[in-house]
Amino acid sequence: MKLFVPCDMAALSVGADAVARAISEQIATRRLDATVVRNGSRGLFWLEPLVEVETAKGRVAYGPVTVESVASLFDAGFLDGKAHPLCLGLTEEIPYLKNQERLTFARCGIIDPLSLADYISRDGYKGLQNALKLKPEQIIEEVTNSGLRGRGGAGFPTGIKWKTVLGAPADQKYIVCNADEGDSGTFADRMIMEGDPFVLIEGMTIAGFAVGATSGYIYCRSEYPHAFKTLQRAIAIGYEKGYLGANAAGSGKHFDLEVRLGAGAYICGEETSLLESLEGKRGQIRPKPPLPAIEGLFGKPTVVNNVISLATVPIIIDKGAAYYKDFGMGRSRGTLTIQLAGNIKQGGLVEKAFGLTLRQAIYDFGGGTATGKKFRAVQVGGPLGAYFPDSLLDTPLDYEAFAAKKGLVGHGGVVVFDETVDLAKQARFAMEFCAIESCGKCTPCRIGSTRGVEVIDRIIANQDRKKNLEVLNDLCEVMLDGSLCALGGLTPYPVLSAVEHFKEDFHGTAA
Amino acid sequence: MVHMANQIALNFSAYPREEAIGHVAKHLKDFWEPRMRKQLHAYVAQGGAELHELVKEAEKRLK
Amino acid sequence: MALLHEIDYGTPASRSQQLVTLDIDGKSVTVPAGTSLMRAAVEAGVSVPKLCATDSMDAFGSCRLCLVEVEGRRGTPASCTTLAEPGMKVKTQSPKLAKLRKGVMELYISDHPLDCLTCGANGNCELQDMAGVVGLRDVRYGYDGDNHFNKQSARFVDKDNSNPYFSFEPAKCIACSRCVRACEEVQGTFALTIQGRGFDSMVSAGGMDFLDSECVSCGACVQACPTATLIEKSVLEKGQGEHSVITTCAYCGVGCSFKAEMQGSEVVRMVPYKDGGANHGHSCVKGRFAWGYTTHKDRILNPMIRAKITDPWKEVSWDEAIQHAASEFKRIQAKYGKDSVGGITSSRCTNEETYLVQKLIRAGFGNNNTDTCARVCHSPTGYGLKTTLGTSAGTQTFDSVYDTDVMLVIGANPTDAHPVFASSMKSRLIAGAKLIVIDPREIDLVKTAHIKADFHLQLRPGTNVAMINSLAHVIVTEGLLADEYIAERCDDAAFNKWRDFIALPKNSPEAMESATGVPAELVRGAARLYAKGPNSAIYYGLGVTEHSQGSTMVMGMANLAMACGQIGRMGVGVNPLRGQNNVQGACDMGSFPHEYPGYRHVSDDATRELFEHAWGVKLEKEPGLRIPNMFDAAVEGTFKGIYVQGEDISQSDPNTQHVQKALGSMECVVVQDLFLNETAMWAHVFLPGCSFLEKDGTFTNAERRISPVRKAMAPKNGMADWEITMALSNALGYPMHYNHPSEIMDEIARLTPTFKGVSYKKLDEMGSVQWPCNDAAPEGTPIMHINGFVRGKGNFVITEFVPTDERVTGKFPLILTTGRILSQYNVGAQTRRTENNVWHAEDKLDLHPHDAEHRGIRDGDLVSIQSRAGEITLNARISERMQPGVVYTTFHHAMSGANVVTTEFSDWATNCPEYKVTAVEVRLAKKESDWQQHYREQRVLTTRIGSPVAGD
Repeated sequence: MKLFVPCDMAALSVGADAVARAISEQIATRRLDATVVRNGSRGLFWLEPLVEVETAKGRVAYGPVTVESVASLFDAGFLDGKAHPLCLGLTEEIPYLKNQERLTFARCGIIDPLSLADYISRDGYKGLQNALKLKPEQIIEEVTNSGLRGRGGAGFPTGIKWKTVLGAPADQKYIVCNADEGDSGTFADRMIMEGDPFVLIEGMTIAGFAVGATSGYIYCRSEYPHAFKTLQRAIAIGYEKGYLGANAAGSGKHFDLEVRLGAGAYICGEETSLLESLEGKRGQIRPKPPLPAIEGLFGKPTVVNNVISLATVPIIIDKGAAYYKDFGMGRSRGTLTIQLAGNIKQGGLVEKAFGLTLRQAIYDFGGGTATGKKFRAVQVGGPLGAYFPDSLLDTPLDYEAFAAKKGLVGHGGVVVFDETVDLAKQARFAMEFCAIESCGKCTPCRIGSTRGVEVIDRIIANQDRKKNLEVLNDLCEVMLDGSLCALGGLTPYPVLSAVEHFKEDFHGTAA
Repeated sequence: MVHMANQIALNFSAYPREEAIGHVAKHLKDFWEPRMRKQLHAYVAQGGAELHELVKEAEKRLK
Repeated sequence: MALLHEIDYGTPASRSQQLVTLDIDGKSVTVPAGTSLMRAAVEAGVSVPKLCATDSMDAFGSCRLCLVEVEGRRGTPASCTTLAEPGMKVKTQSPKLAKLRKGVMELYISDHPLDCLTCGANGNCELQDMAGVVGLRDVRYGYDGDNHFNKQSARFVDKDNSNPYFSFEPAKCIACSRCVRACEEVQGTFALTIQGRGFDSMVSAGGMDFLDSECVSCGACVQACPTATLIEKSVLEKGQGEHSVITTCAYCGVGCSFKAEMQGSEVVRMVPYKDGGANHGHSCVKGRFAWGYTTHKDRILNPMIRAKITDPWKEVSWDEAIQHAASEFKRIQAKYGKDSVGGITSSRCTNEETYLVQKLIRAGFGNNNTDTCARVCHSPTGYGLKTTLGTSAGTQTFDSVYDTDVMLVIGANPTDAHPVFASSMKSRLIAGAKLIVIDPREIDLVKTAHIKADFHLQLRPGTNVAMINSLAHVIVTEGLLADEYIAERCDDAAFNKWRDFIALPKNSPEAMESATGVPAELVRGAARLYAKGPNSAIYYGLGVTEHSQGSTMVMGMANLAMACGQIGRMGVGVNPLRGQNNVQGACDMGSFPHEYPGYRHVSDDATRELFEHAWGVKLEKEPGLRIPNMFDAAVEGTFKGIYVQGEDISQSDPNTQHVQKALGSMECVVVQDLFLNETAMWAHVFLPGCSFLEKDGTFTNAERRISPVRKAMAPKNGMADWEITMALSNALGYPMHYNHPSEIMDEIARLTPTFKGVSYKKLDEMGSVQWPCNDAAPEGTPIMHINGFVRGKGNFVITEFVPTDERVTGKFPLILTTGRILSQYNVGAQTRRTENNVWHAEDKLDLHPHDAEHRGIRDGDLVSIQSRAGEITLNARISERMQPGVVYTTFHHAMSGANVVTTEFSDWATNCPEYKVTAVEVRLAKKESDWQQHYREQRVLTTRIGSPVAGD
């Protein structure tokens, strides 16, 4: 008899540990034959702690479970999947989950993250086994054909990046995983690292074999101590079981992997800044070219990919490019890991083929605003994403469709606001965020963001509104076209979208 | 003077004897001012007690 | 010449051989692959606005002024970071770009004070220029927002005036990072950083003021600064120069090229010259800033004479002084013989001056009693390299270091003594070259920012030859010899003898371990690394030469290099780092008593006849006295008169008391110098010299580069040094007549095969030239021995290790070794008369904590240092850079008297003093040493200048 209590931060933050303890106590007191497995999260955050019980019919879910409700669950016979007010039925049948297409997250929330046996029993390392039968070029061809694009936000085709690294002659190459997940309302990277770390390790190993890199680093966000520890343990297990090191997975090839804790700056999520930081330097943007694929970590050819991109590689190599490519629309192939957050009833992770509309995501999955008040705006793609009004909610989640509406899909974060939001303040916040997180290297971002806050303050205070709106517009143009990296370059997105779609907040009566 | 001359001898001492004497003599001729060579000759005339054997031999060739 | 503004290409030149052609604003331009669009534009005659780019450092891409449009590409890439590609069509001007640039400048100026008219950079400010270029007319953000310039602003940081030469005013900083990058990329010191991020970003010297920081005051940051944030105090005080004079630094043997920026005949600042072949626009604290001595109040501007050294000096006319000196020399020669006088040329003077002094001695005095201060530094280099390779000079050009894979640094401390070249070394080391250091001390290079020596063989002083033999032993016995190279280029018989000698077990690292104190395994590792190369280069300094086996060690290094095939191409070689500006030149010019210019022995009849014919006088065929021999002869009573140009033998030669006794025994000591130096205390005639800013001539640096020294102002003393020598010669009755130093160089070129192609005209055209420069190599010779050795076959010399007789005993249990520090130069005559004293106001005695503890010495205690030669007192500094048993001091201050302690032991072949090994005892002292007390009094007594009362 197995019970599952998530150890994902999202569950821990609402008391999962205490619930797990309470359950263990009940098992002990009641002298039951049951073990508690700490799994990852299924990503249904409003239901966390979501406790599952293994039954003959499948896993039955209960949630959100509190310490106080534990005894009553036992009393109700939840070990046999019996009814209780918190019972949600078979987990797989919960519509939120059932309606998803979980490829990358196929195992997340189901297995014990640190059980290699669990991992392998659920198709783990099948991708790598296939990869070992392929030449590096063939692996890259599969990745290219799958249509996989960088899930960090930029959407650059992963296969092309790998090919460049493969073609760059060097005595040493690196695989770097960008796990500095800093966008507001995002948690997909963290969920994978905490819930299924081996899939990331496998993906990086495949990448290493594909491009000829013998060493990999995971640059993990400093605010993710739990993910960091999970990765450390998983890597140690990987070495112990021969999946990493001199003869990784019996391949005869070398692949070392290390996880490093980040420097606590949003800018370190930008790949060149990340590399600087990983080298022990100040996290500052490097101009491109040279591309990291040519001169990356310590000046060597380097693949820098996001967690989700790398964690998606195993299933592509396992099931084939065609299988993966079959999902999605247009040039956006496969699945997107949408992360619903902000003022939303059912926050959580939705892995779904590209093409779902924003409205479907917010209403069909998210269930509308948490406050129940009227929806007013949604910001997709992190703090630098555009604010969309209701009129744009039918935009499909697709890189090109979003770009056409001056928005960005980014890392898939969706943050919802109800009618109480003031978009002028949100625009100010965007500039302020940029000012706080700017590395200070390029002028438009370093000075522009500070001036941006001041100009918006003047607009809010109704000083020379017309002139200042013009100045703001000009400033946004300089930042958009003049910034060295996406931080300064994208900050105008939320600002300009707020001005464009929510004019009234800038011309209103506030004085 | 004696110290200087002996140092020269020691630095050539690893060469075969005949060659070494030649080197020492040439060195004294090329780099020593006549006054210094005169002092050397005078010292040898008095017995040259402290002189390295190679210097004594070389001195003969300087005359 | 007007004020020279060198073209700033924005990014460094590409070294690629491959060419690309592209179109910029409709102009077709062809550049090497790897060239930035910005640089290509400049080549095409188009200048793109920029602030963070400058061609001494890699593109950074931060200012965003240099954005351009490229046909078929999205967006507006920065031209500094975008590389030229074939067929690219680039637009540097468009309404869109104009708007962006104006927008960027508007942001810049919104955080910059508007005090242009009273700003130190007024007239030379890139920010000002760019505001003009983009046509900025309005800053719509106003000036009441967040900023760094308003004193009321929380971000305001006050000016840092701690550095004596430049100020740092954060309020004017535009955070372009040029200073930070200059410190990293050009200087290699990493003293500066950007603190904070975003709008908080501030340049900082590691969170402290500049003087307390790691900053070495090289000036690279000041030069890189596009605003007045980092600016010379001299410019703040005087304003911008109006014309420039390109000249060569008169400090160390790197020979940096400088632009003297002038207001009339006054120097405003010295700026390293980008086209300088040795320095490529870099400098150190001495050349860049420490030129104030040229106008120091201590300078003597009038000739002076006196009968006795205890008399006060009497100022006389030039004519009287010259006539007096000449008549004294004639009198002495008449009384004591032709060989009773001699002279010393200076490695600080120009080639032309040096040449004239030796000519005066050989032709005017009629003897060969000429020597130069190279005697006490690099004479073993001349001897050793000539014997093995055939040329008394280093094999490489400085830039060769950029092709070096393994650097072997022996007995040199480049970061202090040759800082500009050290920066090149560091840049190469940071880029991945390997490093082996052989030095008793942990010099900076062993462990510095981003550099760690692969091997530090911390040997005992005096065991260099043991070390080089054991390195060679590993090469020979582990099959690491470059057999083909040796067979092709080296003398077989000599090689075989050497190989058999080196292979003897007594030369193994294990056997030598007891002498050197270095674990054999380290020696083996270092030898293997050196042999592996592929390009290994030896750089060495006075830690090699100033030993009783200095010449042996030089030959040992040449042996090692030949054995591994590491001579005769870029990236390799055996390279002396010369101490003074013109050590190489002084040696080239025939300063040594046994050889004429071009290293030809005086006994060689053909050469002698050539000079006899040219100079119209019979010449002496026996070698003359070397400096130490002169002292000995003086004490013995056969040497009575000396003409010393620009060297302070009293302070710089070993065993001071012996030297001073010798000087005191002479009847006529003529000193020609800027200052009443220590030697002048024993002088009878003082001829005021002039500084390098006041005369024309040439210096030859450590890479054989002959660079012009140009007159920036008239001699303050009335006569250039070459004119003084000429006048003295004429008064002696040997006529000399030159209208200009160029005529002296023409004579040198006529008489010296390796200089045949050298002329002032060529130097003006080429900037500088490396000898040999003749018909075979009209543009000079950066790398020697390319197709074989100058002497024919490379000569392996047997290098028996003969331990020095200077040994530690119960009475003198410690070894004293000496060296230099960055901020001071040599005897300090120049640098002590500048603000450089803030870094090094006194010479200290460094000793290991263990030795200190043993003697109850604490940091800062006054200690006495006693050797069998003498005793001095210094303040102690406890330092773990020392190994136990070895103590160290610098010799920059006369009152320290470091050479009171050093002994008369010297190199067996050249008499170069053994400064680096003196057995001493150190103990706590209560008061200054007797010598120092006595010397202080003596100095007062002998440097009085004619009081009106004493008068005539």
